[in-house]
Amino acid sequence: MASKVKNTKSVRRKPARKKTVNKKPGLLRRLFRVLLLLLGLVIGLGVPWVIWLDIQVRDEFEGRLWDVPSRVYARPLSIYTGKPISKNSLLLELKAAGYRQTAQAVEPGSYAVHGNDFDINRRAFMFDDGMQPTTHFRLQLSNDAIATLNSVPGSVDLGLVRLDPAEIASIYPLHDEDRTLVALQDVPELLLTGLQAVEDRQFKHHHGVALRSIARALVANVKAGRAVQGGSTLTQQLVKNYFLSSERTLVRKANEAVMAVLLEWHYDKAQILEAYINEIYLGQQGRHAIHGFGRASEFYFNRPLQDIEPQQIALLVGMVRGASLYNPRRNPQRALQRRDQVLDIFGSTGLMTGHQINTAKSYPLGVINKPRSGASVYPAFLDLVRRQLKRDYRASDLGSEGLKIFTTLAPSEQEYAQQAVSMGLDDLQQRGLPADLQAALVLADVASGEVRALVGDRVAGRNGFNRALDARRQIGSVIKPLVYLLALEHVDDYNLITRIKDEPVSLRQADGSLWSPANYDHKSHGELPLMDALIRSYNQATVKVGLNVGVANLIRKIKQLGVDVDIPAVPATLLGAVELTPVEVTQIYQSLAAGGYSVPLRSVTAVLTPEGDLLSRYPLRLRPLEHREAVALLNFALTQVVEQGTARNLHGLLGNNTLIAGKTGTSNERRDSWFVGYTRERVAVSWVGRDDNRPAAVTGGNAAMRIWAGLFQHLPFDAVDLRMPDGANFVWVDKQQQALTGPTCPRAVQIPFIEGTEPKATTKCLEKQLDKNRKSLWRKWFEDKD
Amino acid sequence: MKTKTSGLWLLILLLVACSTQSPAPVEDREVNARVRAPANEDSAGVQVYSLQNPAVKQLTALAGGAERAGDLDQASDYLERALRIQPRDPQLLQHMAEIKLQKEDYQQALNFAVRSYDIGPRVGEICSRNWRTISVAREHLKDFNGSNDAEARASQCMNTRPKGL
Repeated sequence: MASKVKNTKSVRRKPARKKTVNKKPGLLRRLFRVLLLLLGLVIGLGVPWVIWLDIQVRDEFEGRLWDVPSRVYARPLSIYTGKPISKNSLLLELKAAGYRQTAQAVEPGSYAVHGNDFDINRRAFMFDDGMQPTTHFRLQLSNDAIATLNSVPGSVDLGLVRLDPAEIASIYPLHDEDRTLVALQDVPELLLTGLQAVEDRQFKHHHGVALRSIARALVANVKAGRAVQGGSTLTQQLVKNYFLSSERTLVRKANEAVMAVLLEWHYDKAQILEAYINEIYLGQQGRHAIHGFGRASEFYFNRPLQDIEPQQIALLVGMVRGASLYNPRRNPQRALQRRDQVLDIFGSTGLMTGHQINTAKSYPLGVINKPRSGASVYPAFLDLVRRQLKRDYRASDLGSEGLKIFTTLAPSEQEYAQQAVSMGLDDLQQRGLPADLQAALVLADVASGEVRALVGDRVAGRNGFNRALDARRQIGSVIKPLVYLLALEHVDDYNLITRIKDEPVSLRQADGSLWSPANYDHKSHGELPLMDALIRSYNQATVKVGLNVGVANLIRKIKQLGVDVDIPAVPATLLGAVELTPVEVTQIYQSLAAGGYSVPLRSVTAVLTPEGDLLSRYPLRLRPLEHREAVALLNFALTQVVEQGTARNLHGLLGNNTLIAGKTGTSNERRDSWFVGYTRERVAVSWVGRDDNRPAAVTGGNAAMRIWAGLFQHLPFDAVDLRMPDGANFVWVDKQQQALTGPTCPRAVQIPFIEGTEPKATTKCLEKQLDKNRKSLWRKWFEDKD
Repeated sequence: MKTKTSGLWLLILLLVACSTQSPAPVEDREVNARVRAPANEDSAGVQVYSLQNPAVKQLTALAGGAERAGDLDQASDYLERALRIQPRDPQLLQHMAEIKLQKEDYQQALNFAVRSYDIGPRVGEICSRNWRTISVAREHLKDFNGSNDAEARASQCMNTRPKGL
């Protein structure tokens, strides 16, 4: 409309000018024109603007108010006769799954213990493969295994019972924030009324904006000469929280006001209040914002919102005005003043009596020192879950509400792993190692690659730098087994007893400097069998073999084993000048522990919609590597590292003699300590070092191996299975003579060989025995003839 | 009550309707014709079974039921659960291979069968099923020489001492 007027004006310029010269329009008429123009502007721009704001605010409100978080579950514990599990582990599992100990286990979700007899009343649960009803059953433990498993009514032998899994977190897979949502009816009355008394007394009556409050605030601010009171309603504050920004402009204020009115128009007071309770910003923990009173109550008091005391309610209500200004951890004095001020308002509005207020004021702030980080006790593992969800699922699927995410975490094993790290590092400090050491520990199932436990910090539950996933550190000798694996794949050149030379070696590097690696003991050990060089972790021998098999092939091998990172193709790589994370090292060794069947490590097994439909499942997929016979030979050599090599103290630490495969690793100047070890069913990697990568006086054997042992001493022992695959066999040999020998001959040892690579020579002892056998055969033949 | 019974009738009707499109009986599937039946015929006598615990037995039975009903995803899920309990059970691995064969996931069928052979008895019926599965999978993957080799290996399973033991 306005532009049309302008056009006509320009076309009829002259007569118009004439007109204005001749006859000035009246003031009233000019005013009318301006008003008309304004009206046009309001309608033309204002309406779309309001519509746009409406869409924005409703989107935000509906998106959040009805957002049910996704629940994350640990793996369900499978219970069956013969399952190895200690009493302590079973108790930990029950506790994690939220089972209460009672005298009789009458209610679902409870259990009773008498000695080694457990009476468990399982809740009904919707598993990824369907609903399972409540089941009351009894089991008996004997020698750290389940000896019997029967139903309680009828005492029928049960084949298999799955415990409903522990809920380990509720998350929004797409947002990096934790919330603990509360329903309005679960919010303490004092919080609801107190919040209105302090922030918005007109809440029940206004339509989003309260002119009276604005006026009151204006007066108060003018009186004080600065901004002491805000006139924003709860609705306006909610809107402000949706579009958090520190900008304080008039346009923003106007937008907020309009959005608040729109919200009030669309939704009722209860909905708005509930959204407010769950949305308002109440603090910060690292990169995680603390939103909502439910989460804040856990964060500051470690208690559910329903359980907090009046003075704690007052503190939280007071913090609405400035979560960092009144942060009770950083500014306790100011926070206390604010709390008491709020309590006074509670008193003046009749919410609490004078006596109650005095009692409340007598309490300290009552804020816990170390907040449990995140809404979960397993932040490090959840980190992995979030990353794998984002990697493997469509964002549109993850945005759905109320998903059930089934993970691989074993709560008891996670507990042991965290203890092993926390207590292990304290113990190392007592042994004179630095106090600022950090550690990471990853435990996975060998055959399925399922991650059972993951620790990324020495402090349990701390949500910060996750060393298991993100600490990229030099792996040192942990790389050596791969060098020897490559050698063993060259069947024409190497077997486990091939003699190799451990002698000084000097190599010209790309920058012209000379690289002359020394052994740990600064000696060279001359000629020795290949497996002994690995068992004792000799650097010079490894470099010799490595140069023969090729650095490029080593890098290719690491990629084949499932770790795709850039690695420099320099000789120092042969000795582990390669930076990998503990999870990546676990991936490499999973393939070896599984006898050459690589599976990607995984933390999620299935995702279910609230309707019980499977979003998708991660099926178990096997990827056999080539040269699995060489892997089997290497596995044997790695058991000897523990039996007689650099990890021979492990049995002592564990207090048993189970056959375990392992490898220690130490980086230059003892900055990093690694231990990789596996049994038949479990593979685990531990790392110890300093965050700033300074020398830490650690070695694989003195630090990381102790932590590894701290975990495995709680786990069922299953010895490494050394049965050879098709194409490899154990043979009696004499390593010194490189010859076949008899089992009863001196120095006879059984060592696996790939078929066709066995020594051709025989020892004199064996020849004698064979001779004797031949003779006795003849004799037998003659005797038979007789 | 009346609505309940009518609901039941509807369900039965639906089930009947579904069953008209029921999957081929296991006996008519390729896995039976080319793997299970001939292996069974070969074995006549030599049977080596690993001991199964009751939980694995139960899950194997459920997997068999799902397989007969044509729900191969469900079957592989049960087997996966069983494999969590006994990851090195050659029977389970071979069963999984046969499910993958029916799902026409030939690469995985091959991998599971090889794994089963690697850690299995390498003799008797299971050995024969291992190699027959490998043979069928390789054929579908167009590795015809490999398929013939595997077929030959299947017949060696009945020798008392197979290669490599």
